[in-house]
Amino acid sequence: MITKEIIEKIEGEASVEFEIKDNLVEFATISFPHFRGIEMILNGKNALDALVITPRVCGICGHAHLMASVRAIEDAYKNAGYEIKNNQKIEKIREFTLIMEIIQNHFKWFYMTLIPELEKLHSTSLVQTPLKGAFAASLAAKAIATFAGQWPHSSYMIPGGITSDPTNIDILQVQTYLQELSLFFENETLGTSLEDFLSFESCKEFRGLNSDFSYIEEKLISLEMHEKGFAYDKFLILGKHSFTSVSKLNKTHAVGIDAKFVNTVEAYSPNQITYAKNAQYKKEYYETGPLSRMMALNFPIIKNMHRRFKDSAYSRVMARIFELAYLLKKASSLATTLTIAESSYNSVVDISKITASGLGVVEAPRGPLLHKIEIEKGIIESYKIITPTQFNIGSSSLKNPTPAQKAMQKLSKEEALFVFRTFDVCSVCTTH
Amino acid sequence: MSTSMKETSFDSLYKAFEERIEQLKKLPKMKEDSSIEQVINDNGFSRREFMIWAGGVTAMLALPSSFTPLMAEAVKVADRLPIIWLHMAECTGCTESLLRSANPSIDSLIFDYISLEYQETLMTAAGWQAEQNLENAMKKYKGRYILMVEGGIPSADTEHYLTIGGHGKTGKASAMEAAEHAAAVFAIGTCSAFGGVQAAAPNPSNAVALSEVTHKTVINVPGCPPSEKNIVGTLLHYLLYGTLPALDVFNRPKWAYRLRIHDLCERRGHFDAGEFVEQFGDAGAKDGYCLYKVGCKGPYTFNNCSKQKFNQGTSWPVQAGFGCIGCSEPDFWDTMGTVNEPIKDRLYNTTFGGLGADATADKIGIGLLTATAVGIAAHAVVSAIKPPKE
Ligand code: SF4
Ligand code: SF4
Repeated sequence: MITKEIIEKIEGEASVEFEIKDNLVEFATISFPHFRGIEMILNGKNALDALVITPRVCGICGHAHLMASVRAIEDAYKNAGYEIKNNQKIEKIREFTLIMEIIQNHFKWFYMTLIPELEKLHSTSLVQTPLKGAFAASLAAKAIATFAGQWPHSSYMIPGGITSDPTNIDILQVQTYLQELSLFFENETLGTSLEDFLSFESCKEFRGLNSDFSYIEEKLISLEMHEKGFAYDKFLILGKHSFTSVSKLNKTHAVGIDAKFVNTVEAYSPNQITYAKNAQYKKEYYETGPLSRMMALNFPIIKNMHRRFKDSAYSRVMARIFELAYLLKKASSLATTLTIAESSYNSVVDISKITASGLGVVEAPRGPLLHKIEIEKGIIESYKIITPTQFNIGSSSLKNPTPAQKAMQKLSKEEALFVFRTFDVCSVCTTH
Repeated sequence: MSTSMKETSFDSLYKAFEERIEQLKKLPKMKEDSSIEQVINDNGFSRREFMIWAGGVTAMLALPSSFTPLMAEAVKVADRLPIIWLHMAECTGCTESLLRSANPSIDSLIFDYISLEYQETLMTAAGWQAEQNLENAMKKYKGRYILMVEGGIPSADTEHYLTIGGHGKTGKASAMEAAEHAAAVFAIGTCSAFGGVQAAAPNPSNAVALSEVTHKTVINVPGCPPSEKNIVGTLLHYLLYGTLPALDVFNRPKWAYRLRIHDLCERRGHFDAGEFVEQFGDAGAKDGYCLYKVGCKGPYTFNNCSKQKFNQGTSWPVQAGFGCIGCSEPDFWDTMGTVNEPIKDRLYNTTFGGLGADATADKIGIGLLTATAVGIAAHAVVSAIKPPKE
């Protein structure tokens, strides 16, 4: 018999309605009941205003929105016949600040979401240390602010470059923040060095560590999360960056793709209001985010983990922490190879000369973020935003569930809610 | 408070603060077994560092340095004031600003220590339990709690664009109810203070400011996001005074919002010398010239960013060469025009109908003695803006 369960509120901004059969989740629908209408607000404004408006979609990944906006506008310049070629310095600094935003997100998720949620599920009490998350995230934010002026809601990227002109002292400062952050991660989170961690070949090696990370890993295994929470085992990476490769993967098989084939469909949520649409690639659902990005790279440990545990909740969590290590290393190498000799900005024609459409795609902490802009003489004619959570946590029907809906099936309600959170829910982005 | 103020009035203020602290001490602690000294100590701060921090906050609130020990005392009893923090339609950026406040800085420790009875982002409870927590906190601390609200509030026929909790209560209803029994009400961030980004034209959700849905006095702490310093400072100010701070026309505390960004801006010398960045990336940009011509709204914006900066003093938008966007002013999204262009038709002296945000009902005028427009070619325009007399 199917009984409707109460709606479980997630951070007050998303809710899940369960159909329970024999104490297991038969199916779940998800709704995002908040709506602000940011796309409508963008219409009719100067295209450059998108650079300050879209970061306000989200206080956690505003930088990704900024970069998607600037890429969309630069793409429009190109389509209008004024291609913008950014030099190494501009690309590196933009990439650096974007990476740091992902890093702060993952730290915060680890200490402020994962640990408390595991505690609820495991019913033994874990040591809750939200301040550790705040500490690490604030260091990452300072590194961003050094180039971008502030975080959250920095607006230092503009078509043709960046507005700041960092000095060597700034760069040294950023390197110091990074060293401090890496040390913290090694000592407090991992219990081993970044190098060692990144060269692990099997999940069994996690067992030798004695740290926040190994503790979490053990708990996940004891909760059998390596056998639960499977989605489609299909992954999607759309943003072009130095730290991943644009592709879609069916299990481990990767093929190249093009963001123009992303489509959205109406959500299915019969009993609750929702303002979110589901995002697909060529009408199919894919998982996005850290696990996808890590699957696209050749780390032995990720291969090993996937071979044994597929796209389980365990793999999803581990990939996020592994990405944290990988990106910290990446950020350090960006910061140490940065030279300031090149110009921060190359002048571009006035935006009022631009009548064209543009597409900007980046990898945000949770996966691909797409901004589509149509500009008429510098003014926004239309603006469309598609966020990672729309790929992962859409709400569809039983016949064709979204990754999160699929991952929650056949679990107890408590387990399902935990699995839901392994996707790192961000509801403010989703409805925008 | 200017230096001209007589010592005697500081003396009586000092006494008043002492009495206030004594009173607070009598109230029950939120957490029996902890003390702020312990928390600060446990997190690796020395007493000296704590005192330096207390000195900084004292100065920020425009109090003489002799008040520093009192500030330290006040922080110790901060856990007597329960805080309820509500999220409305927003991006959570204000909370993020606070969370990132430090290393963890003393600011964030204090916020953690004083009881945040209900803060959805920080709280581990979710769902029905969270709703229950809110109701319990409101009942238990009725008339005593401080309400801090983040986010704009959808209203009219789009009120349901924001529903909260398992019962599907609208954000507006929750905010009204929580404000009703609060000892003090603070709107944290531009969304809650003035409607914010979602209230920009055409305002699809009919988002309004917190002050529009309650008859209680709302202290506005705008900024998108406001700095951690202004959030924590607001709280400590209330803790010490026990009354609402002196406010400007937009109900912003004067200690933080009395001066324009422009007044203390590090690029101000270049403005006065007529040295402007003409275009991003030009020679002037490399030399740190004034950003007015590439759209800086610092001359129209009241806030202390140029002094307090962001991310624990790391930097701020003007330092990064982008200029101020005016984010702590009402309706700046619609009235301050295109972000990278100067406001062509607005004169400096006409900011807010010629009154300026310093203009309060009691004192109007001396904040704006200088009536010269910010002509783009103008040199040495508007030198000192004197703070209005209290
Ligand atoms: S004021 Fe700005 S930072 Fe705060 S919630 Fe609103 S949009 Fe976000
Ligand atoms: S216009 Fe802006 S950059 Fe120039 S001095 Fe004023 S606040 Fe500073």
